[in-house]
Amino acid sequence: MTGDPHDAARPDGDAERRRRLAAAQAGLLRALVLAEAPPPGFDVERVRAQARALRAKRRRVVARLRPDLVDHLGDRLAPLFDAYAAANPRRTGSTARDDAAAFTRWLEKRGERLPGRRRWWRRR
Amino acid sequence: MNTLPRLGVGIGWRPEIDLTVERLPGVDFVEVIAEGVHPANPPESLRVLRERGVPVLPHAVSLSLGGAEPVDRSRVAHLAAVAESLGAPLVSDHVAFVRGDGWEAGHLLPVPRTRDALEVLVANVLDAQAELPVPLALENVAALLEWPDAELDEGEFLAELVERTGCWLVVDVANLYVNARNLGSDPTAFLDAVPWERLAYVHVAGGEERDGLYHDTHAHPVTRPVLDLLAELRRRVDPPGVLLERDDQYPSDEELAAELAAIRAVVESHG
Repeated sequence: MTGDPHDAARPDGDAERRRRLAAAQAGLLRALVLAEAPPPGFDVERVRAQARALRAKRRRVVARLRPDLVDHLGDRLAPLFDAYAAANPRRTGSTARDDAAAFTRWLEKRGERLPGRRRWWRRR
Repeated sequence: MNTLPRLGVGIGWRPEIDLTVERLPGVDFVEVIAEGVHPANPPESLRVLRERGVPVLPHAVSLSLGGAEPVDRSRVAHLAAVAESLGAPLVSDHVAFVRGDGWEAGHLLPVPRTRDALEVLVANVLDAQAELPVPLALENVAALLEWPDAELDEGEFLAELVERTGCWLVVDVANLYVNARNLGSDPTAFLDAVPWERLAYVHVAGGEERDGLYHDTHAHPVTRPVLDLLAELRRRVDPPGVLLERDDQYPSDEELAAELAAIRAVVESHG
């Protein structure tokens, strides 16, 4: 928390504003990734729709990284991924590759037999 | 810096359509998702395009400039390195946050339009600009939900952000359409409030209606109402550039070329 050369230049009240904004954003994020009740004033249905959209985005990103899982799981990918995602929200700093690896481990732990990965080089 | 280059009509470069982008007619510039590029080893296809004189603009999605936390310096440093590596004239990210409280949302979320949020955003943008070798442009995002208790409207919020940071703008007309459909916001009021002298370029993309909401999928054809909004924008400004975003369910080269031509027709028909 120390040694950031920008700190000295920060305007008055910056820390308090950041604390208030952090609390507001945490409330929405927890509703979206942990399915907690949204903070007052939000439309509950819209928060659920946004949560579904985020999960679908997360699934598409993992699917793009792991076409082998798409091939293997077929129609089961979406429900399996959504169950995994609901139980394993992404921590700050984790990458999409981390997410794909964790999903694979989650599948294996459930006894899913996954084929070996092909790693062919190709330009596209 | 008070001028940016004329860019023309472009398309979002994605690894899945690298050859398509290289051979499509009428691609004057491209954008690349910055987080996917290794600065020391950028994709071969981008080198090919650059050799032809096609500008490559890094577009970031993870700085979380609208987030409560100070900007992650390593993410800004990566964006700076990508800009240097690609010889880019400018870079961009969004008016959005993507993480907080230890959680990663995984996609762009709208910021509350409050004084607090604007002050923090301004501070974060100034911090990021200090580390970037080229101008920074910020894009309006699509939203399915709205924060309660807005203290400023979207146009006021953007105008003050621009005034206080000197940032440039990427105006996404598809996102304007999404917000008009989902939140009932007035896209022409937004277009009336934009400080057009700070426009870097425009985004256009396709989407689809699902469960009563319009989703900005980047996986469907560009719809007529989005092109109509582009025409509405064109009545106010001659945009330096307009870029088509397509991220999934890629159509044939011919269909992409036709979408680029449709965009060009709108931009040129109001000259």
